[in-house]
Amino acid sequence: MRVLVIEDDGDAAAFVKRVLSEAGHFVDVTGDGESGLSKAREGDYDALVVDRMLPGMDGLKLLKGYRDAGGRAPALFLSALGEVDHRVEGLQAGGDDYLVKPYAPSELVARVEALGRRATGDIPTTKLSVGGLEMDLLARTVVRDGSKIDLQPREFRLLEFLMRHAGQVVTRTMLLEKVWDYHFDPQTNVIDVHVSRLRGKIDKDFEKPLLHTVRGAGYRLEA
Amino acid sequence: MKIGRLPVGRFTARLPALVRTTTFRLALLHASIFILFAAFLLFYLYYETAGHLDRQAGGELNAEFQELSAAYRGGGFDRLNQAVIERSSARGKFFYLLQDGSGDKVAGDFDVLPAAAPEAGQVVDVKFDYDARTTNGDPSRRSAEGRISRLQEGGVLMVAYDVGELGEMNRRVSIVVWRSAAVGFVLSLIGGVVVSRSAARRAEQLARTTEDVMGGDLSRRAPVFGSGDEFDRLSEQLNAMLAKLERLVISSRSAGDSIAHDLRSPLTRLRNRLEGGLLEANAEGQKAALARSIDDVDGVLDTFNAILRLSRVQAGASGSFRRLNASGITDELAELYQPVCEEKGLTFQYSHEDLFVMADRDLIAQAMANLLDNAVKYTPAGGSIRLQTRRNGAGEIELLVADTGPGIPVADRERAVERFVRLEQSRSLPGSGLGLSLAAAVAEAHSGRLVLADGDGAVGTPGLAAILVLPAA
Repeated sequence: MRVLVIEDDGDAAAFVKRVLSEAGHFVDVTGDGESGLSKAREGDYDALVVDRMLPGMDGLKLLKGYRDAGGRAPALFLSALGEVDHRVEGLQAGGDDYLVKPYAPSELVARVEALGRRATGDIPTTKLSVGGLEMDLLARTVVRDGSKIDLQPREFRLLEFLMRHAGQVVTRTMLLEKVWDYHFDPQTNVIDVHVSRLRGKIDKDFEKPLLHTVRGAGYRLEA
Repeated sequence: MKIGRLPVGRFTARLPALVRTTTFRLALLHASIFILFAAFLLFYLYYETAGHLDRQAGGELNAEFQELSAAYRGGGFDRLNQAVIERSSARGKFFYLLQDGSGDKVAGDFDVLPAAAPEAGQVVDVKFDYDARTTNGDPSRRSAEGRISRLQEGGVLMVAYDVGELGEMNRRVSIVVWRSAAVGFVLSLIGGVVVSRSAARRAEQLARTTEDVMGGDLSRRAPVFGSGDEFDRLSEQLNAMLAKLERLVISSRSAGDSIAHDLRSPLTRLRNRLEGGLLEANAEGQKAALARSIDDVDGVLDTFNAILRLSRVQAGASGSFRRLNASGITDELAELYQPVCEEKGLTFQYSHEDLFVMADRDLIAQAMANLLDNAVKYTPAGGSIRLQTRRNGAGEIELLVADTGPGIPVADRERAVERFVRLEQSRSLPGSGLGLSLAAAVAEAHSGRLVLADGDGAVGTPGLAAILVLPAA
């Protein structure tokens, strides 16, 4: 993926560039809002990573300008402001995701990669499929290798999110945000327990596991 | 279970609010003093008018009797008889009756004695009614007062006067006295109510100001009307005090917050460098050390974030409040937490009813998640955790998390919700020590409160019940 990072703090920008480069992406960095906007419009990027507070033009304004000019690359906001109101502002300005500083590198990579997938998967789908696992979004059914799997509504949403991001690392925070709509981190391993229950349903009776734990980062559903 | 409010005396609770105000009580006292004064004034008026006439008539009767006595002493029964006949025929103010020793009328205006005569040599004052004829001959019943004396040598003398006019005077003065007293009492009560109402309104404004301030709005001030009365002075002093308090609160809060805020950036940079180092490190030992350092930095950052979040909730700057079903929030939390409880060998019970509150979903969910996290952390395997929504006796909505863990001793409960307080027994477990503080701050932001009580445990390990009490919407 080609990623444009718009971040004024030199250290932070270098860190983002390094983390994303390590994960195999091409990264351009710019330090202020004005040049960030022109670069985003000129360059053909797969994703934007935008700091909310920038000299010259703040991140919200920048992204609004970009979207108004027809820019379609998905954008991830980075911000030290993490309240729900701030997230809503970010999403209203045209952001696709919102990551609160400080964050783990794996979190950043997972979110940026999730954005890339979203951009290419714009066509509405009614069926998802990973390996022998198939999900019918209309009939709300899940089948693996021909045998039906019964899921609770929340398990269904959890699996749907994992399948939509198949092959990518999905963090616990992402699951809490996207599947449960909670913007805080519980002190107990509630998510792990839910994921392991789901794993019990989709992997237990099959030889090849699909749902993998990525140490120190999260989970990945992969054939 | 205790709800954090003192019971109000039944009697006081039943009195109307107006009567309970201090000003009304003062008005009542004032009215009573006024009534006493009026009673004195009216009694005095009576004494000087009707009473005076009464005494005057009494004095004249005395003089008349004295003269007749003198006649009797000077000339015996016959002389007395003469005097009575003379006076009676003069048709003066007085009536007379003179009887001889056998009780027959000798002279005078009456035929028989209207009252019992006294012993020999005695004098007695009497009041009686008699039948008289008006000038046009109609009979009428009239009142009289008089004096009867049994003469030394036998016989009885009575002198009396008609009190018709005096009685009328008495009656009128009495009516004036009682009616004035009634009107005075009613007027002073009305005055008391009016005065107490206007004073109560001012007091109410002050009370509302302080309530708002306690609710977190430190910028509220009491109204000053410029009349310079005692309420204005009180308001001004209260406002000065609030201004001082606001400065203090802001500076102390911002001290902690700005430390947290300012240190976040360098810590984030430090964390980033450690992560960078982790990417470059080759030796396993180095990697492990770096990973541990990152964990430590994360712990500090978590605490700082919790502090900032807590201050934002306390400052009331956070949240969008709308009317929602509290059970909607707990349903989701029950679903989220039930598996982790079962995983830990804890029984999870959930009961709920539809109860509406004005609330911010995310804040309530976060507060309840903190309470559930605590319950899961502190309750040993084999115990149970109960999540419940219910309405209490006062009509408030309660969101309750009860466990069978060690609980919190009653003496420590108040302290347990303060910032950073972690009780001795919990120091070994992870967490910022802000969980209960945040839950309490969230409750306050919703005009509610956090109540800690005994949970569902047995004797020795009572468990903890943490209850978010919110006003119903």
